[in-house]
Formats: sequence, C-alpha cells, structure tokens
Amino acid sequence: MDFLDKIGIFLITLGLPFFLSGTVGLLRFPDIYTRLHALTKADNVGLGLIILGLAFQADSWLIVARLLLIWLLVLIASSASCHLVASRAMQNKIKPWSSP
Amino acid sequence: MADNNTTRQSPLVRRVLRRFLFLALIWLVLCGSEQASWILGLPAVLIAVLISLMLAPYSEFSFSFSGLCSFIPFFLRQSSLSGFDVMRRALAVQPDINPGLVPYTTFLPQGAPRIFFVNTISLLPGTLSAELHGNEVTVHTIDKDLAIWATIQNLELRIAYLFRIGPPVEVKK
Amino acid sequence: MSLVHILFALILLLAVAVGMIRIHFGPTAADRMMAAQLFGTCGVAILLLLAWGLNTPVLLDIALVFALLAALTTMTFVRRAW
Repeated sequence: MDFLDKIGIFLITLGLPFFLSGTVGLLRFPDIYTRLHALTKADNVGLGLIILGLAFQADSWLIVARLLLIWLLVLIASSASCHLVASRAMQNKIKPWSSP
Repeated sequence: MADNNTTRQSPLVRRVLRRFLFLALIWLVLCGSEQASWILGLPAVLIAVLISLMLAPYSEFSFSFSGLCSFIPFFLRQSSLSGFDVMRRALAVQPDINPGLVPYTTFLPQGAPRIFFVNTISLLPGTLSAELHGNEVTVHTIDKDLAIWATIQNLELRIAYLFRIGPPVEVKK
Repeated sequence: MSLVHILFALILLLAVAVGMIRIHFGPTAADRMMAAQLFGTCGVAILLLLAWGLNTPVLLDIALVFALLAALTTMTFVRRAW
C-alpha cells in the first residue's frame, strides 16, 4: 500500500513540469497557434500523469474508472476546443507567425 | 461488440441494448455502487438512449476491438512524446520553434472517423489541425523540419483500421 | 501524504496565476480565452489533488463537471463571441 502511494507521488511530481511548461509556452510563444500547441499538449500530458498517479492511490476501482472518465473528457474537450480556436483564427485571417 | 457488424443497420433491439449498456456503465462510474442512485439513474439512462436514437439513429461505423487495442498504446506514446516535445521547445533559452502550415488530404470518410482524425492530430507531436474543408486538412506544425507527414499518415491508417474502413486505393481520383 | 497533495495543488494554482498574465497582453480575444482554457485543465488537476489532500471525495465530481464545462465555454466563445 505504502509502495503504491510512493509511485503515485512520483507520477504526480512528474506531471507538474508539464503544467509549468504549458504556462511558460503560453507566455513565451509568439502567436495563437504556437500557444495552442503548448497549452493543449503539455497540459494533457501533465493531467494524464497526475491522474495516473492518483489512480495508484485510489481505494477502489470505481474511483479509478471515474478518474479515467475525467481524463477522457478533458482530452476530448481540449483537442476539440484547440481545433475550434485554431480554425476560427484562420477564418479571421490571423497569420501564423513564422521565423524570420 | 467484437463480432462483425459490417452491415450498415444492425437491428433496433441490438442498437438499443448496446447503447443502454454503454450509458448504464457510465452511470455506474458516476454514481458508484449505491443502489438507491438507480431510482434516478434508470430513467436518466433510458431518456439518454431515446435522445441518442433521435439524434443518431444508426451507428454508421463500427469499432474494431483489435484496432482499439493497437490504437490506445500508439496514442498514449505519441501524446506523451508531444508533451515532451512542447516542454523542450518552451523551456529552451530561445523558444525553439519554426512554425508553418502544411496541407493534407485525407481519405477518411465524413463523420466520426474524420472528426476523430482532426481532433487527434492536435495531440500528436508538433501538429495541430488548423482548418478542415471537406477532406482537406490544414495542419499547423510547430517545426517545419519535423517529419509530420509520416506521423499524420500513420495516424490516418490506424484510424481507418479502428473504424474498419478499407484501404484508400479506390478513393483517390 | 495529504500535505504533499495540497502543496502540489498550490504549485498548479501558481502556474494558472502566472498564465493569467496572458490575459493582460492579449493581443486577441482568443489569446485571453486560452488563459481560461489553462484554468480549465489546471482547475481539474487542482480539484483532483485537493480531493485527495483534503480527503473530500466530492471534489472528484466537481472536477468532472469542470471538465464538461471547460469544453462548453470554449465552444460558446468560438461560436458566439469571436
């Protein structure tokens, strides 16, 4: 039991840098599209690791299933909204930034 | 679920039963093993089945179980790679990016497979689906030097396998 | 163990707070909206961590609702506001 707890903490700790780099990307990247890259990808991996870590600490399978459901929902939500924002930006003729 | 329903319209009873079981499973996950919750849960599931039949009477595509089994590890691996990739680029001293747009023509049919394709592109390393017109997808890449074409094609074939769609040979004009 | 969870939740809250700087600089409405999206994903993670840290399983359900609403907010924004 204690051992599983430690694995859980380890995985959660692993997830944090992804969230932080998502934020860093959101602030440092030059245009909407690149910021979307940072936001969607980094945060999903971060959340995935945290959910995996918490699943190791869960008492019952039902909780694990609920965690998985949450992760799936966030995955669907963020990939769909990422595409929506990007396609709307294209419609609004926002030019992607390109390296000089 | 695993047997071959390649016929377009499986019988109504089967569809209702399948959807009922799926939604009941979700209710179980949401409300746990508390039996009293089914007083509300059973009507909710039945209404949901009814609405799903009204909105999408036929399931046009069927899942292949082995396709799903090979897709999940592929997806998990690719999406964690994409997380690392973005992390590396964001934390580099000078943000390491060289973005550009790449057009891609997909053979996946309209409906669930194509939408699934477009949404998953955004979770693969270095790619983001920016636009969809018919079967033309405009992909925004964070680095033009990445071999994104191969990644996307790999994804496309896996999704075709997942939805039991035949090879693209005849679709191309 | 619960203190560790709360500490992690605080770090994530910091990540959200720093991300909010994007709201100030914009430049487009979508850039500002992205900070809200960040709060969506981080918010779910924070709630989950707190569910363990404070030993309050109800927060799990709130995280679920958060996940659902995160999708709706962006969709509404894209369709109606921008």
